[in-house]
Amino acid sequence: MVPIPQPDSAWRRVRRQLFASRLDGLITVVLLVLLLSAALGIGHWALSQAQWAVIQVNSTLFTLGRYPLEQQWRLWLLTALLAGASGLSWGLLRAEPRAGVNARPWPRNDRIAVLLLLALALLLPAALQLTALIHLRWLALAVLLVLARWAAGRWGPLRGRWRPLVGLLWPVLYLLGMVLIGGGLGLSPVPPGEWGGLLLTLLSASFAMLLCFPLGVLLALGRRSALPLLRWGSVLYIEFIRGAPLITLLFLGQNILGFLLPGGLAPDRVWRAAWVLTFFSAAYVAEAVRAGLVALPPGQLEAARSLGLAMPQALVHVVIPQALRVALPAMVGQFIILLQDTTLLSLIGLLDLLGIARTVMANPAFLGRNAEVYLVLALLFWCCCAALGLGSRALETRLNTSHTPAKA
Amino acid sequence: MTGSPLMIEARAVEKWYPNGFHALRGADLTVHQGEVVVIMGPSGSGKSTFIRTFNALEDFQKGSITVDGIALSNDVRHIDAIRREVGMVFQQFNLFPHLTVLENLTLAPVLVRKRPKAEVERQALELLERVGIHEQARKYPGQLSGGQQQRVAIARSLCMEPRIMLFDEPTSALDPELVHEVLEVMQELAEGGMTMVVVTHEVRFARQVASRVVLMAEGQVVEQAPPEQFFTNPQHERSRQFLRQIG
Repeated sequence: MVPIPQPDSAWRRVRRQLFASRLDGLITVVLLVLLLSAALGIGHWALSQAQWAVIQVNSTLFTLGRYPLEQQWRLWLLTALLAGASGLSWGLLRAEPRAGVNARPWPRNDRIAVLLLLALALLLPAALQLTALIHLRWLALAVLLVLARWAAGRWGPLRGRWRPLVGLLWPVLYLLGMVLIGGGLGLSPVPPGEWGGLLLTLLSASFAMLLCFPLGVLLALGRRSALPLLRWGSVLYIEFIRGAPLITLLFLGQNILGFLLPGGLAPDRVWRAAWVLTFFSAAYVAEAVRAGLVALPPGQLEAARSLGLAMPQALVHVVIPQALRVALPAMVGQFIILLQDTTLLSLIGLLDLLGIARTVMANPAFLGRNAEVYLVLALLFWCCCAALGLGSRALETRLNTSHTPAKA
Repeated sequence: MTGSPLMIEARAVEKWYPNGFHALRGADLTVHQGEVVVIMGPSGSGKSTFIRTFNALEDFQKGSITVDGIALSNDVRHIDAIRREVGMVFQQFNLFPHLTVLENLTLAPVLVRKRPKAEVERQALELLERVGIHEQARKYPGQLSGGQQQRVAIARSLCMEPRIMLFDEPTSALDPELVHEVLEVMQELAEGGMTMVVVTHEVRFARQVASRVVLMAEGQVVEQAPPEQFFTNPQHERSRQFLRQIG
């Protein structure tokens, strides 16, 4: 007879999982020793050998590149708007009950996230030895985000009439952000050549993500279209792009767009690169979406059509939402790759995060400080990618309507 | 029934699948308003293909089909016009899993008939009550049993106020104990005067509800007769063979 499993004490669990046999115990001990020595080594290096001045002195360069000093208030304003919008969306998402699950305004994860955010806003400027004024601004931004989150969670659900406007918030904010960054509408222009660092990385990545998504969906639909010309065109495009390394396409884009278009019309080098990133990712997004379309049972389209929906209506309301849900993980994976691929911009002479890092490391004053710079770079990218991954998982849970047994 | 208007008229319909399979070999059928026609026959006899041509889910190469006075042709406008008037219930339910039950019902009337959403929702809730699942209106299809899902699918079709309902083996994918709840709904619908064409293996349903039973074999209509006559005194050898097989 099988013994009834007892609730394990922590000690027993450790014993069972890590020291079940002599060999297991040996592996555990060896790995622990390795891990500990690595952690000690890094800790020792970070605290006593590394010279963080290279980061402290250049923190503005890393975030903004050579963005003109007197115009930086525009980026502060944009960051404030982003913080407010993030808080608002976050709160509204929590306030909205999803399928079968009651809304919980402050789940534990959220409380931890808020604490982390505030701690970061306090510690990061201190670690970078920024001025008290900037210190204060970061704190204000974090508080703004949390307040917006709280207010939206509290009063958001009551304002049903305003709900449709929330969807417009982000597109409007994106366009506004473009104006704030680049100038126009009475603001003095700051040409793309002066954008740099994290700003350029995030801008080119988000631009490409936003545009490659609809393009990818269209390509995926084109690839499954009944019209031969459309189908072969899509296949040709997707396979051509997927067969070429991004770096060659980036160089090609820099040169070809210059030849193809008369001088005034050819977009700036930064925009050319952003467009190449967009076209490149669109091919991969198209393949992800195609997988979603293939996974959809043909009966879905038949049901939609037999209810009288015209083909475009059936696609928009029935086929694409379901295909996207299936394609979501692969698509986010592509977005993460895209974010990391922006580092290739440094190879065509643009000052994205990596480009800035290379100029900083070329400065004789910071000779030999490569490890510090690359470590910070890696951490920055890791944060951005982790955020994308977390967001996508939250979205997946939210969109999952199948087999969630209704709670009484 | 000859007095009531003709709803479906299929003449000598021939269909080849792209792989060359000759699925329909001159199938004929007429359905009058208010009739409940049950199509039976061995698998592979072309029953499903036949009723799927009635709302242009399958095309055909020869013959003619007229539905509710509109000739089925390749003209897209004709096809859309016919699909608005013809409801279809599938073996696999084909509910939209990303929409709630209520949204499944309201989607088409709002998009296709351009009716106000509030009014459609009221009608949808009434229909859900009629098929006995109005408590589940805010749930998603994945949270319902097969029988409930198929009843939602019927209500979804009815919400478009069709003049004809097609049923393609509506109970074949259901657990045996759930079959009757779907058949009950269909019987009520028939008693309400709906014109129905039903492909099914449910002999009891055919006996009790059908105005006419049609036997198909090898892509043709072999015999059609009132249920009493069909089940007790089939005229055609193919029919006798089929009835022996289903016991």
